[in-house]
Amino acid sequence: MNLVKKECLAMLLAGGQGTRLGVLTNDVAKPAVPFGAKYRIIDFPLSNCVNSGIDTIGVLTQYRPFELHQYIGNGQPWDLDRLNGGIYVLPPFMRAKSGEWYKGTANAIFQNIDFIDRYNPEYVVLLSGDHIYKMDYAAMLDVHKKQHADCTIAVLDVPIEEASRFGIMNLNEKGEIYEFEEKPKQPKSTKASMGIYIFTWEKLRKYLIEDEADKTSENDFGKNIIPKMLADNQKMIAYQFDGYWKDVGTISSLWEANMDILHGNGGLNLEDEKWKIYCRNTAQPPHYISDSAEVKTSLVTEGAMIYGTVKNSVLFGSVTIGKNAYVEGSIIMPNAVIEEGADVRYSIVGWNAVVGKNAKVGETQPPSKPGDWKISVIAPDYKVKAGTVVPANQMIGG
Amino acid sequence: MKNNTLGVIFASDSESHLNDLTLNRTTASLPFAGRYRLIDFVLSNFVEANITTIGIVAKNNYSSLMDHIRMGRDWNLNRKNSGIAVFPPFVLNSSHDIYKGKIEALYSLRNFMLNNKEEYVVITNSNIAFNIDFEDVEQFHLEKGADITVLTYKTTEINPRKHVVSVDKNDRITDIRYPIASDPEEQLANLNIYFIKKDLLISLIDNAYAHGAYDFEREILQKELDNLYIMSYQVKNYVAVIDRIHAYYKHSMDLLDPKIREDLFFGHSTILTKVKDSVPTKYMDGAVVKNSMIADGCEIDGTVENSILFRSVKVQKGAVIKNSIIMESGIIMENAKLNYIISDKKVIVQTGRELSGSENYPIVIVKGRVV
Repeated sequence: MNLVKKECLAMLLAGGQGTRLGVLTNDVAKPAVPFGAKYRIIDFPLSNCVNSGIDTIGVLTQYRPFELHQYIGNGQPWDLDRLNGGIYVLPPFMRAKSGEWYKGTANAIFQNIDFIDRYNPEYVVLLSGDHIYKMDYAAMLDVHKKQHADCTIAVLDVPIEEASRFGIMNLNEKGEIYEFEEKPKQPKSTKASMGIYIFTWEKLRKYLIEDEADKTSENDFGKNIIPKMLADNQKMIAYQFDGYWKDVGTISSLWEANMDILHGNGGLNLEDEKWKIYCRNTAQPPHYISDSAEVKTSLVTEGAMIYGTVKNSVLFGSVTIGKNAYVEGSIIMPNAVIEEGADVRYSIVGWNAVVGKNAKVGETQPPSKPGDWKISVIAPDYKVKAGTVVPANQMIGG
Repeated sequence: MKNNTLGVIFASDSESHLNDLTLNRTTASLPFAGRYRLIDFVLSNFVEANITTIGIVAKNNYSSLMDHIRMGRDWNLNRKNSGIAVFPPFVLNSSHDIYKGKIEALYSLRNFMLNNKEEYVVITNSNIAFNIDFEDVEQFHLEKGADITVLTYKTTEINPRKHVVSVDKNDRITDIRYPIASDPEEQLANLNIYFIKKDLLISLIDNAYAHGAYDFEREILQKELDNLYIMSYQVKNYVAVIDRIHAYYKHSMDLLDPKIREDLFFGHSTILTKVKDSVPTKYMDGAVVKNSMIADGCEIDGTVENSILFRSVKVQKGAVIKNSIIMESGIIMENAKLNYIISDKKVIVQTGRELSGSENYPIVIVKGRVV
């Protein structure tokens, strides 16, 4: 059964556990982790899709999907409640004879070939749910079409000394990829893959079926599909991206990316009316700053009640900062409560967590050199008892 | 649970005199409490009580209202069955003017009321910010065996256009009239919300309309006090009736009181509004903010005290805002000083300007002005 044809649809890989985020992803998938005072990580790729004119999106979920499913709902906050297309959550499912979990990124798409075929697309955009960036996929698709590529991979330049942490694309003079190296010890280029791919669907479909038939394959895009396509001399090109992009897969990168938003580092402009980031709204009143409060260089959003001091911090919706509490360099996630006299520095406090009266959490001194963050994390829903001291670089609860 | 009541909301009313604040908008679409418009409160209370068949009667200047409501999606009112219907002004057969009062307006909604299956109707103005349980109103109406239930509230904000209400010991209304000089300071006043059986309403309206009447309070309520069982349901929650500029100012400042904030926003109903996807508010190094309510999307580098900032207000370095209300997208430039000001949407106060009203007479800056 064919639905209305779509030239291009997006598949968003949102099934990963995100183990490096520790207690923050004990109960939710990484894309559902709160980010930037009022967003979730997944709001960025979803908003990018909508702003790029892609109105059909499959979200592949597997690990702890409930929060994510509930958050996405019918897609209305992103204008994705469409008559034709819209947003679909695609968890693994049983078939007539068998059924299995998504074994790898390629297998996840393979298992949803039928879903994609229903829209009979020319192109498929493959995205992941753990990056913060603003990007026009339509511009990337234009390049893909003009060059008659089989696969286009978005890349950005990273410092050469950091290149060995990324998947590196080695390009010829025409911008074509001749080699892909995952975390190379001796990087030959600084073009790092951003985990954003456009495939010509007919080609990808063939490779997915072949890959599935290959019992030795790990069914992974980076490890199997991309190298196989390169080996077969398919036309694979790089799409250079120069804007802000950050993988928020670790505690320190999540913290840094929040601080980047706060301080305007790296040029990610949330205020741009032409490229809004949409999110589900929680229907809270404007925030309240009391007589006893002091708030400087911070992001604050709806529902927050602030009676204490807040500096260099990112406060999410409906947080409460008690009287004489002190919060610096921290990320306080939705509904968290910092009670009277508590002191929270260089920390991430999970949603619904409570830091009890006069408790002390985190590093008392700013880091000696940038990047040397010793971020402490309080698990969502956890209560730090009154008067407790949680030192730097700790992960508590969960 | 399914509700057997349909709602009728008047977007404008003859009791309110908001002058510069409603030059180009209905009372319903007057911005209030940082991110809302007045109609959000009535709508949200309706939705919470599962009153989902709603007619909004617009009289004039209703484009801002239409833009706000759209299909009612933000209140979950874009339903297959029931939902929201806006009735723009119309010309009645019998006159060449648009309608004069509630009776004529309700007469024009005759078909809307008849075509929907609900047996009861709740009629309300939209100039009220409150958080109440309309299911409790319905229960009261049924238990008391009332013909009409009139919502009332105790207030000291009496003006010549406000109806005061006298009740007997059973809450039956014995008199409804305009205030007189010898009245006590605090009185029971009509909230202009009526709960009534649909059939009775239609017969009352038909009869009044046939007699050329248009004033609902005078021609129906006052006249029928002896014939019908008209009851007073006194609202004990916080009630803000925004019918004068001073009332707008006073009730805005009330929101800085945590108890009132709790009652209005975290009481029975969730207050819903049109979502604008503003960014979080950014406090800069120069921000000094005390006792204020701040919506999303602001950028604050100056001083804000005892004030309410709506969405996307910019307060530049050295600017000082005290005891003021700055509506959406206002820009208060460097070293400007404002005290007791209500500035409407998209106002720009230029560098170094100083403006001051007083608590009893806050100055209104009209939408879009550059000062």
